[in-house]
Amino acid sequence: MSVTYLDAINAALTEEMRRDPGVFLIGEDIGVFGGAFGATKGLLEEFGADRVIDSPLAEGIIVSASIGAAMAGLRPVPEIQFVDFITPAMDAITQQAAKLRYRSGGSQTCPITLRVCYGGGTGGGLYHSQTNTTWFAHEPGLMVVAPATVSDAKGMLKASIRQDDPVIYFEHKKLYRWPAIKEDLPEGDDLLADLFHCAIRRPGKDATIVTYGFMLQLALQAADQLAEENGASIEVIDLRVLNPLDHDTILESVSRTGRLCIVQEDHRTLGIGSEISATVAEQAFDCLDAPIVRVSAPDVPAIPAAEPLEQFYMPNVAKIVDALHRVLQY
Amino acid sequence: MATKVKEPVAAAASINHGSANSDNALIGNDKLKQLYSTMLKCRLLEERARILKKQARFKGNYYAAVGQEATAVGSTVDLRPEDAIAPSHRDFIANFIKGVPLTAMFSQLYGRSTSPDKGRSAPAHCGYAPLNIITPSSTIAAQLNIGTGIALANQMKKNDNVVVAFSGEGSTSLGFWHEALNFAGVRNLPIVYICQNNLWAESVSVKLQTKVEDISLKAIGYGFPGITVDGNDVVAVYRVAQEAIERARSGGGPTLIEAKTYRWYGHSEIDPAKYRTAEEVEEWKAKDPIAAMERYLSAKKLFTPDWKQQITDEFAKELDAAVEVAEKAPQPEPIECLDYLYSFDIRERELNRKIYSPQF
Repeated sequence: MSVTYLDAINAALTEEMRRDPGVFLIGEDIGVFGGAFGATKGLLEEFGADRVIDSPLAEGIIVSASIGAAMAGLRPVPEIQFVDFITPAMDAITQQAAKLRYRSGGSQTCPITLRVCYGGGTGGGLYHSQTNTTWFAHEPGLMVVAPATVSDAKGMLKASIRQDDPVIYFEHKKLYRWPAIKEDLPEGDDLLADLFHCAIRRPGKDATIVTYGFMLQLALQAADQLAEENGASIEVIDLRVLNPLDHDTILESVSRTGRLCIVQEDHRTLGIGSEISATVAEQAFDCLDAPIVRVSAPDVPAIPAAEPLEQFYMPNVAKIVDALHRVLQY
Repeated sequence: MATKVKEPVAAAASINHGSANSDNALIGNDKLKQLYSTMLKCRLLEERARILKKQARFKGNYYAAVGQEATAVGSTVDLRPEDAIAPSHRDFIANFIKGVPLTAMFSQLYGRSTSPDKGRSAPAHCGYAPLNIITPSSTIAAQLNIGTGIALANQMKKNDNVVVAFSGEGSTSLGFWHEALNFAGVRNLPIVYICQNNLWAESVSVKLQTKVEDISLKAIGYGFPGITVDGNDVVAVYRVAQEAIERARSGGGPTLIEAKTYRWYGHSEIDPAKYRTAEEVEEWKAKDPIAAMERYLSAKKLFTPDWKQQITDEFAKELDAAVEVAEKAPQPEPIECLDYLYSFDIRERELNRKIYSPQF
């Protein structure tokens, strides 16, 4: 059966809750309402209010109660409804979850999987559109994943829940029901995805695009367009994991193509593209045939609501094509 | 002395206010002596830690709870190993009371590779996984929230373990503190919040933290009992804590206990505490919980100076031995800086970055 990204998330949660009675969900509107986007629909009915906890409207305790429950042996899957609202939980995420294993010399750990909805392009305005992945990619001790495909949405969520580390699982709201990415996922398969490596979604030899999340769709379209235009062969790498970064797949690709374009929905300064650029400059300087190019949002707060402003803000296919032209023609 | 307990809130906010220790229940003589001897040992332990700090035998800082021993001892002395403690930076002695070996605690102060945290956190930030003591962070009130999560897990697992979560009066100004108590109230969690109101949050008076006289009043807003107790009266603290712990164990939900007490020294060993008057310090030193308990035990003919001397001498030897073990313990290897970050190893990745060259 062909399923959406949202279906895949729901299936992953259902399967993991059936498999392990220690898995429980906690978040705002996830129970009776079934989630703001429907990701947890039907779970309250199957697993009850003790395992699908409609929390108070308080992100700090959603995450920190999960940390404590994880310390005590459970496998919490807390949800932040929009990443824009994650800031009250920043102490819990960056000072507690990220550092607990380290500060206790490995004796205390908190394997939580924090599901976070992010991303723009839906007219949500400043506080329902942000892509703050970098805040967490910057934090050692956290694993940060951002699935871009339906298969990864399911397999990475299931793997995250079983991972003995705090994982932040970024799900892009535009992918939830994006028709073009629907996939046939065999039912009953225990689909577990790798949590450590990038994936080459489109092989190529003239330039490398590195991206993640919804931007993967735009990058693939841009690569297709260039192939049609002038036969350029663009490799597209889906980062999948933002922390810790898989340097080798990127470096190996750049060592073959000699050209690198990084596409991120987040704004520019100190974004994931900055880190990748620096890594390539340090470790594959001799491989580069052109300056590295970044396609990103400008350094303004989040995403303005009015459509022309939003369009200016968001990376799109035309912007990526333009960047590829610059990289290829240098 | 237990009659000093004020109960401004319990009556108003009490839900299922079942009492395991009615006011008439007697605390056995052995327990009274244990409360005293444990307080005395806590005092000796911290005074030794302070001396070692002043001698620069270990680096970093130390946050002594000297003067507050009655609160720490009264509230944790009877916890089971399975019960959890959520300590703040000033609750180093809670580790000792719960049974953490002194060698581990002094290794912690010295940042040795044998410390519970492998030399990572900070001297006074001692946690201990085998006895369910959360390794504290320095961000205030965070431990309450994590402890609340442990209580949630205990409730979900349907066991009767409880969590004792410590905070100071300063932490009650943080939103985080209220998120924890609110959630515990909503879920009726098995947790006891002990607010050690020592009047000063570093240099800031409690008058600048809250307008209410009794912090226990705040429990009303969360729908569970709150009680203010003389935090320098170990018998009173013990009695109130036992009732709260028993209520939590039996499914009766959380309690907020405000223990009014005082730290004799500065916020840390580098704080001369000039923001307080000498009169105030002397007034509180006169309320020394250990001296008060000596008077109480003497009246019951349970105390002799010889007994105190015996405890002091024997414990000094234990401290000497623990200090020696810590001082001789190895420092962590520098490379261990890279360990215990994830469930997987990052050394190779950090140390051996591969350099790529053109392959086309």
